[in-house]
Amino acid sequence: MGDGGQKVLEPKKAHSTGDTGSGHTGHEPETSPIGSGLKKRTKEALKDDFLRKAVAFTTDKLRGGRLKAADEFGDWETWRERGRAIRQHTISHLDYYLGQFADNVVKNGGNVHFCHNGDDAVSTFMDIAGRHRAKLVAKGKSMVSEEIHLNHHLEEQGIDAIETDLGEYILQLARETPSHLIIPAIHKNKRQIADLFEADAGRPFEPDTKTLANYAKQKLRNYFLEADIGLTGCNFGVAESGSITLVSNEGNGRMVSTLPKVHVVIMGMERLVPTFEDLEVVLNLLARSATGQKLTTYTSILTGAKRPEDLDGPEELHVIILDNGRSEQLGDPIFQDVLNCIRCAACLNVCPVYRNVGGHTYGSVYSGPIGAVLTPLLQQDMKEAGTLAYASSLCGACYEACPVKIPLHDMLVHLRHRKVKMKLTALPERIAFKVYQTMFGSVTLFKLATKSAYYLQKPLARNGFIKSGPPPLSGWTQSRFMPMLPKQSFRDKWAALQAELAAKPRNGAPAVGGDAKAKGGGGHDAE
Amino acid sequence: MTPNNGIMSGKEAFMQRIASRLGRSNPMQTAPEKPVRGVPEHYRDRILSAEERLDTFISNWTALSGKVLIVDEATAAETIGQYLLQVCADHGITRAARWEHDALNGLELDAALQRGGIESLVWREGGDAGLQRRELPTGPEGNWSKRIGLLQAAEQCRLGIVWPDCVIANTGTLALFSQGGKGRSVSLLTEVLFSVFRADQIVTRMGEAFELFKSRYPEAVVMPSSLNLITGPSRSADIENDLTIGIHGPGSVYAVIIQ
Repeated sequence: MGDGGQKVLEPKKAHSTGDTGSGHTGHEPETSPIGSGLKKRTKEALKDDFLRKAVAFTTDKLRGGRLKAADEFGDWETWRERGRAIRQHTISHLDYYLGQFADNVVKNGGNVHFCHNGDDAVSTFMDIAGRHRAKLVAKGKSMVSEEIHLNHHLEEQGIDAIETDLGEYILQLARETPSHLIIPAIHKNKRQIADLFEADAGRPFEPDTKTLANYAKQKLRNYFLEADIGLTGCNFGVAESGSITLVSNEGNGRMVSTLPKVHVVIMGMERLVPTFEDLEVVLNLLARSATGQKLTTYTSILTGAKRPEDLDGPEELHVIILDNGRSEQLGDPIFQDVLNCIRCAACLNVCPVYRNVGGHTYGSVYSGPIGAVLTPLLQQDMKEAGTLAYASSLCGACYEACPVKIPLHDMLVHLRHRKVKMKLTALPERIAFKVYQTMFGSVTLFKLATKSAYYLQKPLARNGFIKSGPPPLSGWTQSRFMPMLPKQSFRDKWAALQAELAAKPRNGAPAVGGDAKAKGGGGHDAE
Repeated sequence: MTPNNGIMSGKEAFMQRIASRLGRSNPMQTAPEKPVRGVPEHYRDRILSAEERLDTFISNWTALSGKVLIVDEATAAETIGQYLLQVCADHGITRAARWEHDALNGLELDAALQRGGIESLVWREGGDAGLQRRELPTGPEGNWSKRIGLLQAAEQCRLGIVWPDCVIANTGTLALFSQGGKGRSVSLLTEVLFSVFRADQIVTRMGEAFELFKSRYPEAVVMPSSLNLITGPSRSADIENDLTIGIHGPGSVYAVIIQ
């Protein structure tokens, strides 16, 4: 194969998470802080019709696929519980399983580098690259490499790092970051992709999927062949054998772990299962939860570098195991379970917030509900990253979708609680809750407040609804009508209701006395 | 042959930190008691008959756009040879690669390919001898030009022939224990994957493939460096959710089943 005519490789410079490029508009890597930039990014996303349609369509498709696959598989709740139990057991005994895994990697001829933070991992990778005088790194999909801004560091050293997942490659040309764990270029349309390829190739492209895919395929093929180092993440390490499990539908994971002479794996320290038997569980859960497939097209279980009798495969294997804030969650009764995540993105696909704004709004590597929990925890930053906990409706859909039953909705509440405890919430919010506390602590004040509210709202209301309110009410009324508070509240009606209930026994039941428990009621009496 | 040990760095402090976070004074050295192990029992106990396994595999494989041919053992070599030539003609194949594998050797596929004027490469040292040298896609300079001729030639084969070690019915998956003559590249660098296996190699579920793998290689140090599970053609939906088949790996996949 190959593209026949093309002889010169001039890779585009890798995007950096800290560089916004020049003159490009769109979803550039966010330089504003995660928390204070959240509103601005949300507004931008809400104005982007294509993005919203694309995100809704894709998440619907993935969610539908998951539900169908789970239904066909049968006993899904049993599987979820099994997945949860395996992951929880592994994380609770991570000192044993990680030790076993690392020892086995080394016995198999691989090299293991434990790295406490991103800087350690980057410098470890740079050492390996330097030893091999590497100029070109072909990358499989690796969220951890995004987490440590590896491309940016490689670019600084004059090393080209090429993303080889088709979606990631498109984003690299656009100098943007992924907006979905599974389909990273969810927000790009064919015309935009054709424009990127035109700029790259210096010739026009029709916005046609086959044409575009073929161009990327030929281009990436040469990178696979020429790369000095292949870099991948790790879906699951198998402790009992020291094997690295990689899954990909395209096959780029196989390419970068087979063709270059050196294979470097960068993995979070928690990405393990004890045995092959357990691997069967998580692989079944991952494929079905991520895309609705029975199994991802390519699942490679790599044990060591090439053996002496092999004629292909990397001659050298390095496994970089990263902490980077993960160990802080160990032993935490509330947050330890976040490490059970298998990165399937099922929680993104059901989240009403993610589905409306997409991944870039979160301003962090990990988006959606898992991102809203994981980012502040890994970054140990409640002030900025902690704001992501508010990008949630707390509806619990993420928990229901999660194949390993991580209670993300509870964690989001606990993160908010933590933020309040640390006095990191906005001043108006603190004042509002102070007022609320005072008002609800006194019957007199409460009555006064509800009466006042009725009269205060009158200038704003038309036909029983407030259709356009001033801030902070405008946050509600910009997309919904606010029903007016009634003149007579349920509390005001209670005495009359009690008398009515006592006078009219229902369904032959004895008449209730003054301590009756009335059902329902309390509807609005809009004037 | 077992490999030499690799190097390990930073383990002690790292593990100590994990242990102390988990409330232990030192990292755990003995295997903990496991409350659960592997798949749910009802799933593990569900054994399909040989006929059900065959039907289930075919149904899953064809749902993924894979093609199936069932051949009789008595006439396998001849029938498979003819079918292979037909597939080569359909895809315009001029060069094919195959595993160095006893069962495949017995089918005399090289002779069949030769009859069709198709060059064949066998995955063994010197297996590219006799093949016409072609220009490399990356040109005469650079890393690829320095790699072994076998690898360079395999990259220019558009069809790869393998004999899976095991086949999984309920996902429609070929399990390849890639090692020695069973090179990874044959099932990866080609556009068409042509697999041949016996019906009795089909197991119900993934776990059985892993059991076979572990029984054959009880120690990690002797395990093949790559166990590949292949479930259909290479695919991507990264461009506006349009399914693209054959993005990096083979886009057409065939399963020839000998009964």
